[in-house]
Amino acid sequence: MRSDWAGTYLDGRTAARHPATIRLMREGLEITAAGGTRFWPYQELRQTQGSYAGEEVRLERGGELPETLLIPDAAFLQSLHEAAPHIGPRFHDPRRRSARIKWTIVAAGGVLAATVAIYFWGIPALAVLATPYVPVAWEESVGRSAMAFLAPPERRCGDAELGAAVDGVVRRLTAAGPPSPYTMRVYVVNRPVVNALAAPGGHVVIFRGLLERSGTPEELAGVMAHELQHILRRHTTRAVIQDVGTGLLLMALTGDMTGPLAYGLQTARALGDLRYSRRAEEEADREGLRMMMAARLDPGSMIAFFENIQKEAGAQPEVLTYLSSHPMPAERIARLRAMSATWQGPAEPLLPQADWPALTKRC
Amino acid sequence: MVDGQKSPGRPSFFHKPAPPGAAPPRPVAPPAPAPPTSPPPPASPPPPTPPDYRLAPPPGPSPNGPGAGPLRRPSFHGNGGTLFGIHVVNTLLTLVTLGIYYFWAKTRLRQYLFGQTQIEGDRFAYHGTGRELLLGTLKAVLVFGVPIFVLNVIRDVLDVGVLLKVGAGLISAILLFVFFPIAMVGARRYRLARTSWRGIRFSFRGRVWDMMKIFILGTFLTGVTFGLYYPYFLVARQTFMVSHSYFGSERFSFDGHGRDLFWPYVLAILLTLPTLGLGWVWYVARKRRYFWDHTSFGPARFACSVSGGPLLGLWAVNALLLVLTLGLAWPWVRVRSIHFAFGNLALPGPLDLARIQQDAQRVSAMGEGLSGFFDSGFDLA
Repeated sequence: MRSDWAGTYLDGRTAARHPATIRLMREGLEITAAGGTRFWPYQELRQTQGSYAGEEVRLERGGELPETLLIPDAAFLQSLHEAAPHIGPRFHDPRRRSARIKWTIVAAGGVLAATVAIYFWGIPALAVLATPYVPVAWEESVGRSAMAFLAPPERRCGDAELGAAVDGVVRRLTAAGPPSPYTMRVYVVNRPVVNALAAPGGHVVIFRGLLERSGTPEELAGVMAHELQHILRRHTTRAVIQDVGTGLLLMALTGDMTGPLAYGLQTARALGDLRYSRRAEEEADREGLRMMMAARLDPGSMIAFFENIQKEAGAQPEVLTYLSSHPMPAERIARLRAMSATWQGPAEPLLPQADWPALTKRC
Repeated sequence: MVDGQKSPGRPSFFHKPAPPGAAPPRPVAPPAPAPPTSPPPPASPPPPTPPDYRLAPPPGPSPNGPGAGPLRRPSFHGNGGTLFGIHVVNTLLTLVTLGIYYFWAKTRLRQYLFGQTQIEGDRFAYHGTGRELLLGTLKAVLVFGVPIFVLNVIRDVLDVGVLLKVGAGLISAILLFVFFPIAMVGARRYRLARTSWRGIRFSFRGRVWDMMKIFILGTFLTGVTFGLYYPYFLVARQTFMVSHSYFGSERFSFDGHGRDLFWPYVLAILLTLPTLGLGWVWYVARKRRYFWDHTSFGPARFACSVSGGPLLGLWAVNALLLVLTLGLAWPWVRVRSIHFAFGNLALPGPLDLARIQQDAQRVSAMGEGLSGFFDSGFDLA
């Protein structure tokens, strides 16, 4: 063990560096510098640098504006621990560095495990817990701001007759169900995309591509019943909460507030990309089908529309948009079919006077 | 002297309002502009922080003399691997504590980055604590976050009269506007006060109200002139930020003028379309050079040699690294940026370190009413 070390003493009052000789004692350091000798008890010192390779050892003593001792040779720490074995972890021990690497690897595993657990379990569970407490007024406000992006006024179809027809479909569906706190608003957007989506608070967007692909108002009602159920069951709100949670997780992972904050602000826009769990999709299917039947609409037209979309996927790639957000495995259709088997009818026609194919072209 | 507890503020930069018009391409990690004090700050003009002193032999035997030649450069000794290790542990603790550890994580990172930054043979030291950062953020949340949130709820959600909604929206907008200068000054005050070199603290002594005036005037004139006033606004801010920064008892000074950045700025706007926005990289380099070249400390003046091509190269490679590794490479990206910034920065000229005395500023806690609050500084992690 070496007991004498060379270093630099800073007095905390001037920018002068004083060369210093440091002697390791059992209870403290004896420092000879700036023409004097002083004794620093170990208990009064704190080490603020020197735990990483390439750093010099920095010891400070005193309050806000401390005196400082700099020792370039990190081996000093090892000698310090030998000179004063009772001092413990107050000072870094370079011999422990390999242990630190081990712990860092363990920590990396921990981060991975925690991330997976939070992402797949924590955030969804939190969203389920929180969703019932979100006030309807907030859902409406989130939905409204999303509409400004997803259905900008200049893109909405202004045709009054079409608007009245679509509203008629919604009214027929909602009138059959129990009263709900939402006022459903449907926006037909003039884009060729084959898709429909729901935003919290009672906003449904139908794109022209999908509208034109519906052969009857009943088929459109089927799609709409599914989307309305996403709103009524608050799947949309839950998805928004999950999105925000993911943003926070990202923030923790990157250690940066600004990027993920921007991500969070994007949430409203990203509503168009909301993904629901498979269970939520099944629930929307099931309840949507019940809604159809309660409204005395033939559930077969809902199934027929989904089947057509599925069939066209090969020949007409544009319908893939709908399929990508509404995965349609064969068992989904089979399940719907099994449910609709209980339907006895009779169906009451929807919009009997309307020339539906012509109407859908008016956007 | 510095009274513990509250945080004084620190350097600046932080965010600059995006220039009207085109946003300069901003790669993930803007090259760390500032030397020491600010390895971590995000994009922005160079903070004047790094002083260095010397040349004049300190009283007493001074061992520092070796390279006291005229070219003094900051250097960075950290490496990406260690940074990555720190980040991993920080992340785990942040996740496990549901985010609370974030402030301590930030502090650890700064301690490492500052401690690896050297000029004139001495390292910088960061003295901030996670607790201060947490309190500072809580303060900002209480004074700005909560009121803005409540006002926005009144504006967007509650079913109240139109007049009330308009009023709430207006107050919320004003609060948000006022928040920027306060945050910039507060953060700079805190970070500078918590940074030292050779045991001497930096400090920032500008008043929030003066910054507010610069902001109000700058925003107004920038709007009225359709953005053309922006370079003047930028330089006014930089002047304020630099010329109220101190190392010990010695002040930094800045002698730039907005008209010098006016034409480069106009040129960048005009070239936005023809260069697909890449022209802004050259503007950013020009601005950074200009800011440093007009920053001086005593008789010594900074010299910056950043130019557009290498800066674009740095950003492009950094972006590529981040994309290819899904962001995991950020510690190495950060180190690259710091090396780049320091490699292009020098502080030639004499420094009279013997003259410098410790002169830390008292940093009050929350007391002293509103003005005390605004001037006490806080940092947003």
